[in-house]
Amino acid sequence: MSRGDSPSVETRRPDRAALIIAVVLALIAGVIFWDVSRLTGLAGYSQVGPTTVPYAIACCLIVLAIWTAVEGFRGDFAEREPQQFGPVAWVVGGLAAQMLLLNTLGFSIATGILFAMTARGFGKRQLWLTIPFGIVASFVVWTIFAKVLQLSLPAGPLERLLF
Amino acid sequence: MGTLDFLLQGLLVAAQPMNLLYALIGVTLGTAVGVLPGIGPALTVALLLPVTYQLDPGGSLIMFAGIYYGGMYGGSTTSILLNTPGESSSIVTALEGNKMARAGRGGPALATAAIGSFVAGLIATLGLAFVAPYIVKLALVFGPREYFALMVLAFVTVSSAFGDSTLRGLTSLFVGLTLASIGIDQLTGQARLSFGVPDLLDGIEVTTLAVAMFAIGETLYIAAQGDKGPDKVEAVRGSVWMNASDWARSWKAWLRGTFIGFPIGAMPAGGAEIGTFLSYATEKRLSKHPEEFGNGAIEGVAGPEAANNASAAGTLVPLLTLGLPTSATAAIMLAGFQQYGLQPGPLLFATNPQLVWGLIASLLIANFMLLVLNLPLVGLWVKLLTIPKPWLYAGILLFATLGTIGANPSVFELGMLLAFGLLGYVMRVFGYPIAPVVVGLILGPLAEQQLRRALSISQGDVTVLFTSPIAAVLLVIAALAFIVPLILRARGRGEVLAQLAASED
Amino acid sequence: MKHFFLASILAGALALPAYAADYTIIAPANPGGGWDQTARSLQTVMQQEGISGNVQVQNVPGAGGTIGLAQFASQQKGNPNALLVGGYVMVGAILTNNSPVTLKDVTPIARLTGEYEAIVVPAASEIKTMADLVEALKKDPGAVSWGGGSAGGTDHIAVGLIAKAAGVDPTKINYIAYSGGGEALAAILGSQVTAGISGYGEFESQVKAGTLRLLAVTSAERLPGIDAPTLKESGLDVVVENWRMVAAAPGLTDEQKAAVSADIEKLAKSAGWQEVLKTKGWQDTYLAGDAFNEQLAKDVSATEAVLKDIGLVK
Repeated sequence: MSRGDSPSVETRRPDRAALIIAVVLALIAGVIFWDVSRLTGLAGYSQVGPTTVPYAIACCLIVLAIWTAVEGFRGDFAEREPQQFGPVAWVVGGLAAQMLLLNTLGFSIATGILFAMTARGFGKRQLWLTIPFGIVASFVVWTIFAKVLQLSLPAGPLERLLF
Repeated sequence: MGTLDFLLQGLLVAAQPMNLLYALIGVTLGTAVGVLPGIGPALTVALLLPVTYQLDPGGSLIMFAGIYYGGMYGGSTTSILLNTPGESSSIVTALEGNKMARAGRGGPALATAAIGSFVAGLIATLGLAFVAPYIVKLALVFGPREYFALMVLAFVTVSSAFGDSTLRGLTSLFVGLTLASIGIDQLTGQARLSFGVPDLLDGIEVTTLAVAMFAIGETLYIAAQGDKGPDKVEAVRGSVWMNASDWARSWKAWLRGTFIGFPIGAMPAGGAEIGTFLSYATEKRLSKHPEEFGNGAIEGVAGPEAANNASAAGTLVPLLTLGLPTSATAAIMLAGFQQYGLQPGPLLFATNPQLVWGLIASLLIANFMLLVLNLPLVGLWVKLLTIPKPWLYAGILLFATLGTIGANPSVFELGMLLAFGLLGYVMRVFGYPIAPVVVGLILGPLAEQQLRRALSISQGDVTVLFTSPIAAVLLVIAALAFIVPLILRARGRGEVLAQLAASED
Repeated sequence: MKHFFLASILAGALALPAYAADYTIIAPANPGGGWDQTARSLQTVMQQEGISGNVQVQNVPGAGGTIGLAQFASQQKGNPNALLVGGYVMVGAILTNNSPVTLKDVTPIARLTGEYEAIVVPAASEIKTMADLVEALKKDPGAVSWGGGSAGGTDHIAVGLIAKAAGVDPTKINYIAYSGGGEALAAILGSQVTAGISGYGEFESQVKAGTLRLLAVTSAERLPGIDAPTLKESGLDVVVENWRMVAAAPGLTDEQKAAVSADIEKLAKSAGWQEVLKTKGWQDTYLAGDAFNEQLAKDVSATEAVLKDIGLVK
């Protein structure tokens, strides 16, 4: 909203990331305004109703967005180290795989895959070795927590085969 | 019989060899389950309570006490070593504790946490025995307006966890406050910011957010450093034990943490986290080494750890004296007491003195056991840091997701874990502090609800917020905590403007 | 490594047997609450009485039980070994949350236990009887603040019904919602609110110790051992029971349904269950079959009406 006239101003090489963050903050504020506006007031006897605090938060987010944009234009936003995205993708992939496979393949296999993919992200490339190891380790954990301590952890083919 | 006689009798029973063994098993189990990120003391006690059914009343009571204190204690170890708080009350511990661990001072950090927990547990358990009736009267005076004033104070003091940039600290806090607005509004039953997703109706679970932002965010951040990141953490630099200066800096923090944590734990809407925030802020203000805060100040571990254990004992005050369960853990403990025919309430101390004093004696023994168990393990724990990174982080994610799956095995919850993990990573990349997000999520709803309750009861009269003496005092302290540092800094630098400009980035 | 150590201690010290799971009970709430306690008591008694070799309890918390309900209805369809604990709170939550899954989408088996609401004031209060409270409410509804559980829950519904019966506009009640029984009780003891309303069990020890004054209970008839009039005696035609039930999965054959019903009946009649009811202070309100279904339908329509009156459901 406050970003409308921004692209033309180019004084000290604005920090693109800071501007994106500012836009995201403003968008969140917008979503709050939009969602809360359809609530009925229903404040009862207090003049602070269910909508007051979210509106206040949204206003503060807009102020923070403007502040962030100003810092971005002045170029004195945070410095950052270069990031390597390959390893991050491996770990995120592992978490996504566990999430999707958990209910069909059970805790041990899904978590074993997460284990191996995380290790891959940190440089252990031998998946043929880390996947079986991860599954065995997860199975031991599953046995302790699900069988001995009665924590409910999803069972899959492997767990049903052995118990 | 007098108070002391009952206590001594209880101690004699609890100190029998078999009972000591049960205490040991209890604290071991409690610590082991409590260590898992995402599984807090409530679930630990719920899971392990059936284990105690199989013993005689004396034995099961003592095992139970062990599980409770062990579960409260478990969270700090992973906080310090792996920057992965086991539960919300050890988030603050991670701030300084993990910095210490990375500087090779994990040993002293773990030791000050263990000894601080012991000291706090000891004093607070004795407090439970001797001053519970007075503390509980104080706790009942706290109505919505007093809580609101306490929350204002907590908000002002958490700014000490903001790191070096006001803008980024505030942004983190407001991200947390936004997340806090998600879910059913407790006072009117309307859904806010949940976009028709039923899983969001109960809001964001604090433990899910904490585990995601700390454990997963941290893992992703370290992974993204690739080979250039700090190659190997030096596990031990100097002594693994606390040196003379560590002791000198810790003991006052332990005591202050205890005196902050105990009464706040006893308040029906207090909660262990708020005590740790206040303790951290107090230590930072009083420290002779404020420059070390954010880089591994031992007081910042000693105070909050003492505060969270003291509040664990504090929770028992309203439970035993009024039969008031003030937390999920306490509600489960209430169920636990019933199996011994104990009906907590105002008459308990009069009708069932043996059992009450037996429990208090058991807590003292369990507390002692924890120290015995944990101090020798410090050397072993710090070795965790020497595990090669691929295995270490794979293991962290295994246990972090295990905690979440065990507490609520839903794909949606795991999805939130991943999403907030990515948010935590991005925030780390841009230098946003993580703790204020979790602080906002915890304090936001408390402050909002108490304010609205206060105004609703007064039928919209705003002056009630300031006319209660306790609320007024708390608000004055909050105002001073906000204004005094500004004045001091302004004086030190000559003018206010320079100071404001400096605080901007 | 440490966990191997732990496992060996556990295995050695306790030697827990490992059976194949027979029943899985879903508690649609966090550990510690009433439904969780009911589920865990069922678990204990079923194993004790040999009704089932091994029972697992799974917590699926959220939104007054509607998340657990929805998950149970979709994932356990046709599974005769899955049970769901639920109760009256779910009836209200389904309405206020607009839940697409309702109790019609599962197979209610039986009501097991229940609790009546109690209305209390602090011992020092000037209000001595229910009639005093009603009079104050009629004079200025805003000046009477009620402390109780979450908005739209049983406590809130009961206050709405009381206001309506007293001829006061239910949208005008000044209801202060607290997150848990403990927090509300503290507010009542500290005289932060005018009156308190919750399950009788929450107040029992305070009433006995004389720190709270019990004005009335919401049962149809006087409760044994409780010295308080019913609302009906106080001239208000209101009965509220916060019951808990057990339901089976949808899509069961008649034989499967009969088998589950028989197991639950055996449980409800067992000495072990009666013992649990006694130690926990729960009332035995076992009701099964058509009688229970009829009661359920009546509760649903009455609740919908009052939630509309309070303004929580449109």
